[in-house]
Amino acid sequence: MKALKRVGSVAFAVMLCIALLVGCSSNSSTGTGSNTAGSAAKNEKNDSGSKERVTLKVEVFDRGNSPEGMTVTNNLMTKYVQENFGDPNNIDVEFVAVPRSEEINNLNVLMAAGTAPDIIFTYNEGAVYSWAQQGGLMDLGPAIEEHGPQLKEYLADSLQYGIFDGMQYAVVARRVNLQKYSSLIRKDWLDALSLPIPTTTEETYEALKAFKQNNMGGERTIPFGFALAPDSYEPVIWSFIKEQSDEARYLRSVTIGSREYPILMDGHKDALQFLNKLYNEGLLDPDFALDKDKKKKDEHFVNGYTGLYSFDSGQAFGNGESSAVMTLESNVSGAEVAPVLPWTDFEGKNRQPAYNPSGMYIMVPSFSKRTAEAIKYLNWMAQDEVIQYMAFGEEGVHHNLVDGYPVRNSSEEDQKLLYNTGDMLIITNGIDFGSAENNNEYMALSVVEKHRELAIQSRSFADKDAVQQPISFDKPLDSEAKYSVVMLEKYEELLVKSIMSKPEEFDKVYEVTLKDFMDTAGTEVFEERKVAYEAMQQ
Amino acid sequence: MIRKSYVIKHWQLYAMLILPLAYFIVFKYFPIYGVTIAFKDFNVFKGITASEWVGLDVFRDIFSQKSFYVALRNTFMLNGLDLLFGFPAPIILAICLNELRLKAFKKLSQTLLYLPHFISWVIIGGIVYQVFATNYGIVNLLLEKIGLGPFPFLSDKLYWLATYTSVGIWQSVGWGSIIYLAAITGINKELYEAAEVDGASRLRKIWHITLPGIRTTIIVLLILKIGDMVDIGFDRPYIIGNVMVREYSDVLSTYIYRIGLQSGQFSIATAVGLFQAVVGLVFILSANYISKKTTDEGII
Repeated sequence: MKALKRVGSVAFAVMLCIALLVGCSSNSSTGTGSNTAGSAAKNEKNDSGSKERVTLKVEVFDRGNSPEGMTVTNNLMTKYVQENFGDPNNIDVEFVAVPRSEEINNLNVLMAAGTAPDIIFTYNEGAVYSWAQQGGLMDLGPAIEEHGPQLKEYLADSLQYGIFDGMQYAVVARRVNLQKYSSLIRKDWLDALSLPIPTTTEETYEALKAFKQNNMGGERTIPFGFALAPDSYEPVIWSFIKEQSDEARYLRSVTIGSREYPILMDGHKDALQFLNKLYNEGLLDPDFALDKDKKKKDEHFVNGYTGLYSFDSGQAFGNGESSAVMTLESNVSGAEVAPVLPWTDFEGKNRQPAYNPSGMYIMVPSFSKRTAEAIKYLNWMAQDEVIQYMAFGEEGVHHNLVDGYPVRNSSEEDQKLLYNTGDMLIITNGIDFGSAENNNEYMALSVVEKHRELAIQSRSFADKDAVQQPISFDKPLDSEAKYSVVMLEKYEELLVKSIMSKPEEFDKVYEVTLKDFMDTAGTEVFEERKVAYEAMQQ
Repeated sequence: MIRKSYVIKHWQLYAMLILPLAYFIVFKYFPIYGVTIAFKDFNVFKGITASEWVGLDVFRDIFSQKSFYVALRNTFMLNGLDLLFGFPAPIILAICLNELRLKAFKKLSQTLLYLPHFISWVIIGGIVYQVFATNYGIVNLLLEKIGLGPFPFLSDKLYWLATYTSVGIWQSVGWGSIIYLAAITGINKELYEAAEVDGASRLRKIWHITLPGIRTTIIVLLILKIGDMVDIGFDRPYIIGNVMVREYSDVLSTYIYRIGLQSGQFSIATAVGLFQAVVGLVFILSANYISKKTTDEGII
């Protein structure tokens, strides 16, 4: 009996060891195997007529907002995709959730492990560049030629944004609405102070001061709702920039993520000095630097503490009955807002940033074996009826026709099918109704009736003198990709420290923090930009 | 011969050891292979083996970066503050708790003091922002009421250091005191009785009996703590920190996160991690050596 036990224990130990060894070796083989997988993919690319059922893995953002009983990887829309695209093509479409806020970290790890989905996407240009440089992305050109006629037609010009070094490393989604930022001002406050709606930077400044002096929003008045976020600082900064040529934009601004920062341009320092003045006169939230997610800024606005409020275009009126403006009006009786173009530049124009007509980058990792299927999927999505369904569902169930436009009806059915439509219908950001006018009309229909005029005006303001950004080179810049995170942090430091310094110390603080930015990354980036610019001129 | 039969006799015990051993081999020793990334120009798509060797280039790159030294300095500074204020705190608390007469009160306060340990740093971060905000934080509102101006607890570097340290103490002091309380229970009660007969006051008893009684525990924990000097948790500085105090709040762990995960520069992140491990080893060995020389107590 004892002997038997002993044999048993030895066998157990041996088995464990074997299990461990197997575990290890399979681990290491996936690490090194990605190479061969990459080349295998190339051989298999044309092998589209295979009868064997294959699995196509597709990334999807998880924003933690799925209705009960559903997940982003298994819901009514994923079923629609499987039934209408997957089954007819003998493909199992499997969705892979990536948390929205941890997107880049997650994708970096998935790419490194060679387990990223066959279709990945991100808005982060820096990440796309760095994957492309390291050979992690598939050239999609041939596959699009072969399997993506509809996709090509649909995306048209935006496809060019996905070409780096002559290779189509990404399919770039369309972006329909290019407006970036809008501002609102409290009309009732202006009326009470018998001030007009400001039209220049000076008038805006006077209005802000008057808001403060008269404590228009009570003791907590924040004349200018300001957060450490682009929608707060970009409009102000760009209105101070005195240079406009492409050359200046290439040589004296940097691209961080998808934004252009005119750090070395004439006027940048003036902009920060102006903000410094606002801060020291108590016209900004003293804790603005802690408010990176804009929560406080929005909270202050809907609670009626804020006089001037800038935001990502569309945000303040969106969401129908629960829009920010509606909430403000119900919180503060008599509150009234007016769209405003608060900042003017040296020419008296309202120069402000706008988006390029390109949306997110959709890519296939080089180790994927499903390039053909991936393009087929995107091509399928580019059909009118699919776009229609993925954006609006069915008439009478998920949307109603109003003036000929499909307007989602906010019913339970609508929420269930379309709660993450933007993350599923990846080939376009916004729906195009053919013209800017139509798009405006459609946008207005999703706003509560009494605010429609305001919303349309607000949007047209966002178009005025807008400049599409960022200006891009014909190939990715190594240094910009490498330093994108560091540069953003250093830039935020530059902003925060110089805005919050004492007025008499501003010059010194600005100089020191700018030098820090340049030493950490700036100098290297600007040098590379210069070389790239000169190469482009030839 | 005796040894062998001992092993055979208690084979079950050895069998039970297999799992923990397997854990260490698989999750602790095997990944050490990945350290080679620090000496390679690591391309995630080529894998570790196929990436090119670059010798010490990565380290040269790191040691030429100013932000690395800032992160290193901050790591020492924040850990130093924790050592200075955070280390004695649980000892003092344990002694205080031990002196309590009322059992029920002692139990209650112990439980309440443990609680923060179980709250995630993310939540603590939210609370800290609400409580210490310059304009609307409750602390500043109260201070203003008694005529003391608002203090920039979160936005001024020096104030922030105080906030960081005290929040850390608040979070961990209760939990940290458990081990000392356990050590105190192990002290021979007769010693206290004898001291009482000799007319020793409470403080005397604490000084001459309780403290020497838990000396070994203190020293072991101190050595471990010193070994962790270069090793700093990620959550606390990352969450409590903000742009205004980044000069002080950027530590090695957040540096690695930013460079490695966010920017995808795995070679640099690995190299910094390796550097951390090596310095940590040096620290713990020297602390142990000194302690052995001076007090004859150590962990190895």
